[in-house]
Amino acid sequence: MKRTNRIFTVLIFIFLYIPMAVLVVASFNTGKNITVFEGFTLRQYAELFRDEDLLALLGNSLLIAVLSTLICVGLGTVAAVGIHNLKPRMRKAVMSLTNIPMTNPDIVTGISLSLLFVFVGSKMMGNDNSLNFGTLLIAHVTFGLPYVILNVMPKLHQMDSSLTDAAMDLGCTPMQSFFKVTLPEIMPGIVTGGIMAFTMSLDDFVISYFVIGFDFVTLPVEIYTYTRKAIPPKIYAMFTLLFLLIFGLMVAMNLMQLRSDRQKRSKRAVSDSKSKRIFKRVCAGLAALALVIGLGSFIGMTRQDKTVLNVYNWGMNIADGSDDTMDIIAEFERQNPDIDVRYSTYDSNEALYSKLKNGGVTVDVIIPSDYMIARMIDEGMLLELNFDNIPNYQYVDEIFKDPNTRTYDPENKYAVPYTWGTVGIIYNTKYVDEADLAQGWGILWDEKYADKILMIDNARDAFGIAQYLLGYSVNTTDHDELLACVEKLKEQKSVVQQYVMDQIYTTMENGEAWLAPYYAGDAMLMMDSNPDLAFYLPQDQGFNLFTDAMCIPSCAQEKEAAERFINFMTDPEISGANMDYICYASPISEAKNYMEEYLAESEVVYPPTEVQAKGTAFNFLPEEVSREMDQLFMEVRSTDTAEGGGTEDVIFLIVLGALAVAGVAFSVSSFVKKVKRKTKK
Amino acid sequence: MKKNNAILLSTPYILWMLAFTLIPLGVVAYYAVTDPVTGAFTLDNLAQLRLYMPVLGRSVGYSIVSAIICLLLGYPVAYYIAHRGKVAQKMLYMLVMLPMCMSFLLRTLAWKGLLDDTGIINNFLGLLGLPTLRMVRTPGAVIMGMVYNYLPYMILPLYSTIVKIDRRLIEAAEDLGCTPVQVFQKVTLPLSMPGIFTGITMVFVPAVSTFYISQKLGSADTSLIGDVIERFFKGNNMNLGAALSLVLMVLVFVCTGIMNRFGDDEEGGVVV
Amino acid sequence: MSKELIRLRDLVMEFDGERILDSINLYINDHEFLTLLGPSGCGKTTTLRLIGGFLKATSGEVLFDGQEIGDVPPYKRQVNTVFQRYALFPHLDVFDNIAFGLRVAKVPKAEINERVHEMLGIVGLRGYENRRIDALSGGQQQRVAIARALVNRPKVLLLDEPLGALDLRLRKDMQNELKRIQQALGITFVYVTHDQEEALSMSDTVVVMDKGRIQQIGKPEDIYNEPKNAFVADFIGESNILDGVMLEDYKVRFFGRTFQCVDKGFERNEPVDVVIRPEDIDIVPASEGHLVGTVTAITFKGLNYDIIVEFRGFKWLIQSTDHCAVGSTIGIRLNPEDIHIMHKSEYSGMFGDYSSYSAEYDELTEDAGDEEE
Repeated sequence: MKRTNRIFTVLIFIFLYIPMAVLVVASFNTGKNITVFEGFTLRQYAELFRDEDLLALLGNSLLIAVLSTLICVGLGTVAAVGIHNLKPRMRKAVMSLTNIPMTNPDIVTGISLSLLFVFVGSKMMGNDNSLNFGTLLIAHVTFGLPYVILNVMPKLHQMDSSLTDAAMDLGCTPMQSFFKVTLPEIMPGIVTGGIMAFTMSLDDFVISYFVIGFDFVTLPVEIYTYTRKAIPPKIYAMFTLLFLLIFGLMVAMNLMQLRSDRQKRSKRAVSDSKSKRIFKRVCAGLAALALVIGLGSFIGMTRQDKTVLNVYNWGMNIADGSDDTMDIIAEFERQNPDIDVRYSTYDSNEALYSKLKNGGVTVDVIIPSDYMIARMIDEGMLLELNFDNIPNYQYVDEIFKDPNTRTYDPENKYAVPYTWGTVGIIYNTKYVDEADLAQGWGILWDEKYADKILMIDNARDAFGIAQYLLGYSVNTTDHDELLACVEKLKEQKSVVQQYVMDQIYTTMENGEAWLAPYYAGDAMLMMDSNPDLAFYLPQDQGFNLFTDAMCIPSCAQEKEAAERFINFMTDPEISGANMDYICYASPISEAKNYMEEYLAESEVVYPPTEVQAKGTAFNFLPEEVSREMDQLFMEVRSTDTAEGGGTEDVIFLIVLGALAVAGVAFSVSSFVKKVKRKTKK
Repeated sequence: MKKNNAILLSTPYILWMLAFTLIPLGVVAYYAVTDPVTGAFTLDNLAQLRLYMPVLGRSVGYSIVSAIICLLLGYPVAYYIAHRGKVAQKMLYMLVMLPMCMSFLLRTLAWKGLLDDTGIINNFLGLLGLPTLRMVRTPGAVIMGMVYNYLPYMILPLYSTIVKIDRRLIEAAEDLGCTPVQVFQKVTLPLSMPGIFTGITMVFVPAVSTFYISQKLGSADTSLIGDVIERFFKGNNMNLGAALSLVLMVLVFVCTGIMNRFGDDEEGGVVV
Repeated sequence: MSKELIRLRDLVMEFDGERILDSINLYINDHEFLTLLGPSGCGKTTTLRLIGGFLKATSGEVLFDGQEIGDVPPYKRQVNTVFQRYALFPHLDVFDNIAFGLRVAKVPKAEINERVHEMLGIVGLRGYENRRIDALSGGQQQRVAIARALVNRPKVLLLDEPLGALDLRLRKDMQNELKRIQQALGITFVYVTHDQEEALSMSDTVVVMDKGRIQQIGKPEDIYNEPKNAFVADFIGESNILDGVMLEDYKVRFFGRTFQCVDKGFERNEPVDVVIRPEDIDIVPASEGHLVGTVTAITFKGLNYDIIVEFRGFKWLIQSTDHCAVGSTIGIRLNPEDIHIMHKSEYSGMFGDYSSYSAEYDELTEDAGDEEE
C-alpha cells in the first residue's frame, strides 16, 4: 500500500516535470524543433544574452512584479490590520470582496479590467492611451492584494491580542506597538503573501494579455505571441535559467526556514532573532529591489527624451537581423537616433481593426491589407499622409498608384504600399497527390486529407476561399451567398485540423499538417525550411491578390516620425533587404536589385503577369456585411459539426449527466441525514 | 484598536477593491447589453449566447472530468506527502508548487511537442518500430493539458487539509478497531472533505475558463468557451465577448457557491 | 482478582538512538487500577502507547493474557484508549463518536443504540446525543472520550493524562467519576499522569517512572511512606532529604546526632539518604528539641503553615498548624517512625533541600502539562 503510493507519487512527479525537461533539453538543442534533438549547443544562451529586447521584456516583467508586490504588501498589510479590527459583519463583507479576484476566472478579471480602463479612459476622459504601464500595474496589484490579505489575516487571528495590549501597557504608542509587536508577529504571513503576489505577477499571462497596451509589454505576453508562430530557441534558454533561479530560491528559502526551525527547537532563547532575521532579509531584499526599480526607471528616463514611435505590424513581417538579414528597426534607429521604435505585432486585419476600434492604445504606423484600409478610411480611422515627408514614394511602381488597381485608396492619400502577394495553397509534396490539386480550393475539403488540413483563421480570407470555390464574387454583399459560404465552411470543419494564422509555420514545417491556404511570402519561408513544401495558386477558380500598405491611424501621436519611418521603409534598398526576410513581393521594382536572386526570380513571389491577372483584390465591404461575416465565421469556428466531435461529445454529455445525478444523490443523502439527525433529537 | 481606526486603515483597500473588482464587473455587464457599433442598449448579444451553449457545455464537461481526474491523481500524492518527515514534506511541497511558477504557455507547448503526430512520443514509438498514436487534437489531450496544468492546485489544498488531520484521530480510530482501510474511509476521507472541495473548485475554475490549452492541444472541435471569449474580445466584438464572460462568471460563482456550501467554509480556499 | 493480564518484559524503546525506555518490566492484574506516574519525558506515555499498539518496542515483549502481542496492530487489540485531549472525531456528533467502534465491529443497530445510551447514562451525558463535538465543554468532551472507549467493553482501558486539560475543580470531580466507573465496570485501567495526588488517590498500584526506568512499584501508601530513593521521595509529596549514616539496624546518625528509627537491613556505617516528611515533624520549644534552628520564612497555606527552618545551613520544610515568627529559634522532635532511611542512589543530593524555597513550589510540576511529544 505504502509502496504503491510511493511509486504512484514518483510517477505523478515525472508527469509534472516531463514538459519542463523537454524545454530544458530544447535549450541545448542545435535544431529549432523541440521534437528532434539534433545536437548539443550553448548557442541559445549566448543569443539570449545578446537579445536586448528579450532582456528588456524580462526587465519589464520584473519591474511590474516588484512594484506591484511592494504596493500589495504595503496596502495589504495595513488593510489586513484594519479588516481584522472591523466588526464581524463588515469584515465578512470585505472578505467576500477580497475573494472576488480569487474565485473569478482570470479571463473575466482581465476582460473586466480592460473594459474598465477603456471605458473610463477612452470614453469618459477621451484619453486614447488608456491601456498603459499604470493600468497594467493596477491590474497586477488587484490580483496580488488578496494573496497578501489572505496570508496576513490568519497570522493576525493567531496572534494573542493581549500582546499589543502588553506593548501599550509597557509604554508603546499604538504605532510603536504595531511596529514592535504586531509586525514581527505577522511577518511570516507578509513574506509568504508577498512572495505569492510576486510570482503570480511575474508569471501572469492571462490578465496581462487583456490589459496590456502597446507601450509596455511583459515577458509572458510576448511569449504568447512567440508561441503562436515559431518560437525562437533562446526562449527555452530563458525558461531554463528562470527554472534554475526559482528552484534555487525555493530551496534556499526552505533551508533557511528549516534551520531557523531547528534553532528554535534547540534553543528557545535564540528564537526571537528569527523574526529579526526575516525582517533584515526582507529589508535587504527590498533594497535590492529598489535598486532594480531605480535602474529600470533610469533606463525609462533615458528613453524618454526620444520620440517613441509605435509600429504595429503583422507577425514576422519585418527583417529582424536573424539569418543574415538586416535588422531594419535597428537600422532605422541608427539613422534616426532621436526615435525609439516600439514594435508589436498582430496576426489578422480584424485583430488590428478591433484593437484600434476598441481604443486604449496609441499606434503610429500600421500595415493593414487593402480591404481593411478601405474600411478604415471609410470609418475615418486613418490620417492623410504628408507626401512631402515621404520622398521615396517616387520609387513605388506606377501600377500601385493607379486608381483602377488601387481601389482601396483611389486618391492616393492614406497609404504607401509595403508588400503585395497572393493567397494560395501550401502543400506537402510528400503526402499530397499533386493530381488532387486539380480540385483547386476544393482540395481543402478533401476527405482524403482529413485532419491534415489547416484553415486560415480570419473571416475575410476564409470566406474568400469559399467564394472562389462556389464561384461567387469575393466582394459580394449578398446575404444568401454569405450563408451558402457558411454552409460550405461548416462542411469543411470535419476535415480541418485547426484554424490557424501564424501557427501555420511550425505545423506545416514539421509535417503535422499537409495542406493549408496561406500567403505566398510565408509559403516561401516555409518552403525554405522544409523543401517538401510547395505552393499552388488555383488560377481557374481565382485567388486573392492583396496589397499591404503602411498607414497612420488617427490615434497616432507622432505623425512626423511615422512618416519618416514610412519613407525609410520605402527606400528601395531597405525594401529589398526587408523582402529577403519576409519573402513577399516589393511594390518597388528597383528593390529587386537589392534582393536575393532566387526571390526576385521566384514565381511564387512574383507570379507572371498573366497569372496575376487571374487574381482579385478584396474590396471594402459595408460595415454591416463585414461584421456579419465576422460573426458568421465565429459561428463556423465555435459551433459543432454534426459528425466529427459528435460521439465524443455524447460521451461527455453522458459523463456529465452521471455526475449531475451523483451530485444530486449526494446532496439528497446528506440532506436526508440531516433531517434524520434532527428527528433523532 | 479603536473601531474607526480599523475603518480608516481598511478604507483605501476597500475602495481599491470596489474600483477594480466590483465596478469592472458592472462595466462587463454594461458592455454585454450594448451594441458594438451604435453603443445603444440591446439584448442581441445575450440572445446570441444560445449559439455558444454547446461550447460552454463542452468546457464545463472537460473541466469536471479533469477536476475529477486531478482528484484521483492528486489525493494519493497529497496523502503521501502529508505522511513524510518534516524536511521531505517541505521539499515535496515545493516541488509541487514549482511548476506553477513557470510559464504555463511554454509548458503546454512542450506537451504539444510530446504529443504531436510527429512529436517526441511518436518519434520514440517509431524508433521502437511501434505504430504511432494519435494523441494531440483529441478531447483527451485537452483534458490532459488541464490535468497537467491544474494538478498542483488540487494537491496543495488536499495536502494542507490532510496534514492537519490530528494523528491521534487516526490512532483513536485504530484503537476502536478500524483496519487501515476503515481508518481511511471513516476518518481520513471525511476529514479531508474541505480540501477536496477546495481542490475541485481550484481546478474547475481555471480549467473552465482556459483559452490556451485547447488552441495548442485541441482540434477545431474542442474549442472552449475561453477561446471563444478571447477571439471575440481580441477580434471584432468586445460586446459579445463581454456577454460570454458574464455567463462564465455567473457559472463560476454558482459552482463555487455550491462547493463552499459543501466545503463547510471557514478554511478558505487559498493555499497556493 | 489479581489474575495477571498484561506483562511487559524487558521493554526497550529507542528513537533516533535515544533511549526512551530502559528495560521496563511490569505486570498488570485484571481489574486493577494502575497508574504510571512520572514527570514529563519519563517514558510513561511511551509505555502506554506500547500497550495500545501505537508503537513497536525496539526490543522486549508485551504479553496480553500470556500471548505476545508486540506485532498485533491496535485495531486487533482488546484494549481501548482515552487520548490526551480526547481525539474526538470532529466530523461526527456525540452519538456517532461513541458508536464508532461498535459500527466498525458491525454490532447490530439495535444493540449499538442500547449500548451507546447505556454508556451515555454512565458518563452522565443523556440528551447530548446529537451535539456537535465542538459544542461541548472540556469536561463533556472528556466524558464522550471515556464513553467512546468503554462502550467497546475493552478488557483494559488506557488513559493518557485524560484530565490534563481540565481545570482543578473539574479534575477532582472526574477523578471520583473515573474511579466509580472503574469499580462499577470492573475493567482494568492503566492510567498515565504526572499529578502525584491524582495517582495516589485513584490507584490500586502506582508505578513511578523517571528517565525511562521504573523507580518504584507499589500501593499508594507504600510509595508515600516507603519511597525507594530520593527521586520518589521528592516526587511523591514533600520531603526533607538529608545525608546520614546507618550505624546499625534501627540507628541512624545525621546532623551530628544519632536517632532511633524503624529501618534495618543496611550495612554497618552505610551512607544513606534520610527522608523526613514535613508534616511528621513536631515543633517544640528550643530547649526541648532534638535539633534547634531558626525560622527563615513562613507561609500560610490554609490548612497549615509552611515553615522554612534553617539547621546548620540546611533548610527544612516543616508543615505545622502553629505559627512561628520569622527569626525565632525553635526546636524539633523526631519520632523513630518519622524517619525513613533509603539507600544512596543516583538521585542522592539532588532533592530535598529547601534552600531555594519559594511559596510556589507546589506548582513547579504544573508546567509538565505538555508531555513528551
